[in-house]
Amino acid sequence: MTENENLIEVSDLKMYFPITKGVIFQKKVADVKAVDGVSFTIKKGETLGLVGESGCGKSTTGRAILQLYRPTAGSVKFKDVELTELKGEKLRHMRRNMQMIFQDPYASLNPRMTVGGIVGEPLEVHNIAKGREKRERVQELLRVVGLNPYFVNRYPHEFSGGQRQRIGVARSLALNPDFIVCDEPISALDVSIQAQIVNMLEDLQQEFGLTYLFIAHDLSMVRHISDRIAVMYLGKIVEITDHNTLYEDPKHPYTQALLSAVPIPDPVIEDQRQRIILAGDVPSPIDPPPGCNFSTRCPRVMDICKEVDPTWQDIGENGEEHWVACHLYE
Amino acid sequence: MLQFIVRRILWAIPVLLAVTFFTFALVRAIPGGPFDFAGDRSLPPSVVANLEAKYHLSDPLWQQFCSYLIGDTVCRPGDDSGRASKGVLLGDLGPSFRYRGRTVNDIIATALPISFQLGMMAMMLGIGIGIPFGVLAALKHNTWIDYSATLVAILGVSVSNVVLGPVLIWFFALKLGWFPVATWAAEPLFSGIADKYIAASEQIPMWVNIIPKPTVDFFMHAALPVFALGTALSATIARMTRGSLLQVIREDYIRTARSKGLRERAVVVRHALKNSLIPVVTILGPMFAGVLTGTFVIELIFAIPGLGRHFVNSIGNRDYPVVLGTTLLYGVAIVIANMLVDITYAWLDPRVRLE
Ligand SMILES: Nc1ncnc2c1ncn2[C@@H]1O[C@H](COP(=O)(O)OP(=O)(O)OP(=O)(O)O)[C@@H](O)[C@H]1O
Ligand SMILES: [Mg+2]
Repeated sequence: MTENENLIEVSDLKMYFPITKGVIFQKKVADVKAVDGVSFTIKKGETLGLVGESGCGKSTTGRAILQLYRPTAGSVKFKDVELTELKGEKLRHMRRNMQMIFQDPYASLNPRMTVGGIVGEPLEVHNIAKGREKRERVQELLRVVGLNPYFVNRYPHEFSGGQRQRIGVARSLALNPDFIVCDEPISALDVSIQAQIVNMLEDLQQEFGLTYLFIAHDLSMVRHISDRIAVMYLGKIVEITDHNTLYEDPKHPYTQALLSAVPIPDPVIEDQRQRIILAGDVPSPIDPPPGCNFSTRCPRVMDICKEVDPTWQDIGENGEEHWVACHLYE
Repeated sequence: MLQFIVRRILWAIPVLLAVTFFTFALVRAIPGGPFDFAGDRSLPPSVVANLEAKYHLSDPLWQQFCSYLIGDTVCRPGDDSGRASKGVLLGDLGPSFRYRGRTVNDIIATALPISFQLGMMAMMLGIGIGIPFGVLAALKHNTWIDYSATLVAILGVSVSNVVLGPVLIWFFALKLGWFPVATWAAEPLFSGIADKYIAASEQIPMWVNIIPKPTVDFFMHAALPVFALGTALSATIARMTRGSLLQVIREDYIRTARSKGLRERAVVVRHALKNSLIPVVTILGPMFAGVLTGTFVIELIFAIPGLGRHFVNSIGNRDYPVVLGTTLLYGVAIVIANMLVDITYAWLDPRVRLE
């Protein structure tokens, strides 16, 4: 039996948002290249961390994978099914298997619906449970995410940010999905609550055999939960490897810069830590620089970087995968 | 809920008192008086003096306001010159200066039901057309459907009833002959009750007049003015609905709803529409109050004996009690409309509490 061990296969995914002008006839004048050709796989039961600065296209990647945006180009396979070609009812049914925990726990819950409505709606839509059965299932889900089951009749505004995020998690679990995109599920929360939510997500993964794409904007958060980590810069993935390797032997100058900003708990090492301060701003995704996207800020930039796109290659040793896109390793 | 309503009514009292005071002061500040007629219709000074004495217009203003408010028995003790006013606080709006022998209460009781019927039907038409078109335009954002709906809405707002009314009359009433040209044809549904009052030659109470008998004649007469007024309202409602829905549809929780695997129609109806109606309801309140108390232009064009003309004519006539009465009525309508708006808010948005 040869079963594909990859649950998700993304190849050369692009998501461009057109910028239009004109009052009556909208003319496209440019594209925001939010995601510009990313490729990676996620194995069953694995957590892939996706890290990058604000605005580099992490949320867009997650949404494009789940077909909440229709990708401009590229392919997304879920259990060998090409998602970009699914439409209408087929796509609707596919949504049972893949869910998203949204970045903003305040904006992503309908203020007009009770918790019971928010969490239970997917069950109804997919004809899984109704009435009393639905109510019981919702209460069980609330218990699973550590909320009082008697909260079903309350409205989102009656909850704290952490509780709301738990509601979002309960909602995403309702359909027993295989794959969940966790879009910065903790960055809107207090530090004290962050650990609770991360631990809960880990427990749930154990319990239900979930596969995660875990998005975060700094490296300190993802090391703990991820098996592998992808680093994203301006719409492209620059490096993917095992979570330990990434911390111990980062290859891409951008990854090195990000890591240098992560505080180290050991005071001796922390004192020796050399911060790499990146010069300049992130270029606009409307008009990315030629060649390597990072060439405008890279401390180790070479002439070739400003002209030629680096190739996406595996430079791992001893059978370990270590993908990087950088001319230094070509 | 009941507590909320009671509190709102209590709050409305000082507001309405202030409205009464300022209207009283302002209308008296306009030069001229109710009995100044121009040219050969002008009255001899002795007659004017008599009339002014009869209506106490030569009394000090504070006394006039006092007796308007709380009645002659308190403010003009021992006065037996004519009929004594009971005062606004007891619901007596006083006599009209221009329509001899008619009280403001009578005028309102006769004219308001007509305006109310016209306004109610126009509102229903406006909402019935406006909201669906607004939703359609928003869902088909930036397509030809959106553009044509927007164009029609802009036309509806900018082509005033002064133009639309006569065009409708010319085409549908005169050319095609489908509808009567003008006037209103409402009979009270409870004609038995009305007949009793007529037999006793008393004023028919307002609630009897307000409910029309649904005859063909009634609807034929109503068709054109309701259409003219309703389309104008629907244009505003459609624009509001479109704008608000466009905003809501970009919200994060709409994406959440999609991610649940809902059908697009369910996303719109269950998640987007109710949220987007909140600003629409906000404008519906004052719109309701304004339309139900009469619209001058439509009533003038279609010769409908509603309340709208009294708002305007009474100022020209310096018919002080009518000015005050209609203004106060409008104030009450606004207060009630806003209360209904707030109740609707609480239903649309659980974050709003009626406390
Ligand atoms: N619907 C959209 N229309 C146009 N541009 C968009 C849209 N969504 C995102 N973008 C642009 O795409 C880029 C990437 O946005 P995205 O939300 O994916 O960033 P992110 O990495 O998730 O950032 P953050 O950490 O702040 O959440 C940004 O420049 C953003 O302005
Ligand atoms: Mg994001």
